[in-house]
Amino acid sequence: MVITEQKKLEEILRFLEGCERVFLLGCGVCAATWGTGGEKETREMAARLAEAGKTCTGWVVTEEATCDVRTTRRLLKQHNAQVEAADALLVLSCGAGVQTVAALVDMPVYPALNTLFLARLQNLSVCDERCRLCGACILAETAAICPVTLCPKGLMNGPCGGYKDGKCEVDRERDCAWVAIYERMEALGWRERFLIIHEPKDWNAARHPGFINKREGAAAGGAR
Amino acid sequence: MSKLAESLAAGQFVVTAELGPPKGTDVSHLLKMAELLRDRVDAINVTDQQSSVMTLGSLAVCHLLHERGIEPIFQITCRDRNRIALQSDLLSAAVLGIENILCLTGDYPTLGDHPQAKPVFDLDSVTLLRTVSLLQQGRDLAGKPLQGTPRFFPGAVVSPGAKPLAPQIAKMEKKVEAGARFFQTQAVYDPAEFESFVRQVEYLHVPILVGIILLKSAAMARFMNSNVAGVNVPEPLIEEIGSVDKPSRPAKAVEIGARLIRQMKGLCQGVHIMTLGWEQYVPQLLEEAGLAS
Repeated sequence: MVITEQKKLEEILRFLEGCERVFLLGCGVCAATWGTGGEKETREMAARLAEAGKTCTGWVVTEEATCDVRTTRRLLKQHNAQVEAADALLVLSCGAGVQTVAALVDMPVYPALNTLFLARLQNLSVCDERCRLCGACILAETAAICPVTLCPKGLMNGPCGGYKDGKCEVDRERDCAWVAIYERMEALGWRERFLIIHEPKDWNAARHPGFINKREGAAAGGAR
Repeated sequence: MSKLAESLAAGQFVVTAELGPPKGTDVSHLLKMAELLRDRVDAINVTDQQSSVMTLGSLAVCHLLHERGIEPIFQITCRDRNRIALQSDLLSAAVLGIENILCLTGDYPTLGDHPQAKPVFDLDSVTLLRTVSLLQQGRDLAGKPLQGTPRFFPGAVVSPGAKPLAPQIAKMEKKVEAGARFFQTQAVYDPAEFESFVRQVEYLHVPILVGIILLKSAAMARFMNSNVAGVNVPEPLIEEIGSVDKPSRPAKAVEIGARLIRQMKGLCQGVHIMTLGWEQYVPQLLEEAGLAS
């Protein structure tokens, strides 16, 4: 799940300066589940903007992910009159959703959220980052615990000398990823696998921006 | 072959010490300390932005020592350079006649005085050792042939007091596999703990230089116990250094350090003294430890 947080209202009002009428669009998938851009939050945002003197021409939450151009285009068409009546669109989704909307309209589009990371959702209050989208997954070699994400140094061959009582050098509250990997591998009877030396990571696979066209058979991670 | 490599190959007990380059360009004190250590140690480690604190570079100081006939150990970390810069610096070391290379991961930048810095860690200590081995075979990490092949004596570090210890030993095994020919350890204060560690890594058949840091005060011991990974100062030692007044502390620190060396000497192939500014006490320490040559 893509984790987001709401921006402070002051920041939103700063970039909405000069825009009197605003249309709001929330995301029904990640932001809705995490409670930053679903129906409730979009309605609340509309109310806060009204309190600050803005006119809300309407609001809608995408049923699918906002970042799906096909459904978001249809939804914007359905709400064309309210969108046209606005000076700007405020989008409560991750950065991908904001840019999806921006590419579909010829008017100012602003983000209501900061996009933080790709996470495992433990419950509706707790989530932790689990994937850095590095483009070359090594979870098969690390007992399905990602050191690229969970080790601040992104080490590939075991723990550094900085762990203390199994906790990370950078944050003593957090478990050392490589100690966790070692212990899981040992429990699985995989100590021999731990000893395999992994070559330096190919960061080319993590090149941005990513682009894929399945019909052209283009590779992931290729710059476009 | 470096003198360090020769001595270890000959089975001689070796002594190394450590110097930290200054923040700035005044190397007078550093060179004075190097002269003091010159005839008393086999080689001197030069730290690489120790604890992520920005200082004069290790390579430049290694060169200054080398041209004075003092054998350096070039400490090189993965924190600040990607694989291109690391390989280039290794080649630079080779043309300057520096053979001993200590390969380290490096502390995280937030531990130092430039916490905003972007961390690199493109390689890790294991792949850095592999890179050293590759360069010695006349190829770089991309497989391209080198014009002129460097010669190195690569080493690494290990923390005998790490908790848990098993992942540390597994990583040590990977470092040996990747080409580490000697190990220097984190500071050890518990000979029994060290003996247990040595027994567990005997199968690796690699020289180990036990790390010694002079215990300057009880406060320092407690600070290390709470903050420095892998350092465990037993309570009786803390009480011992705490029992003397300030002017007597250096003598007591030397006494404790010498005793630790004598207790662990038979378990390993050398001693690595990390002075943290107390270089002036190294001669006395070696004297009391029975290592003065």
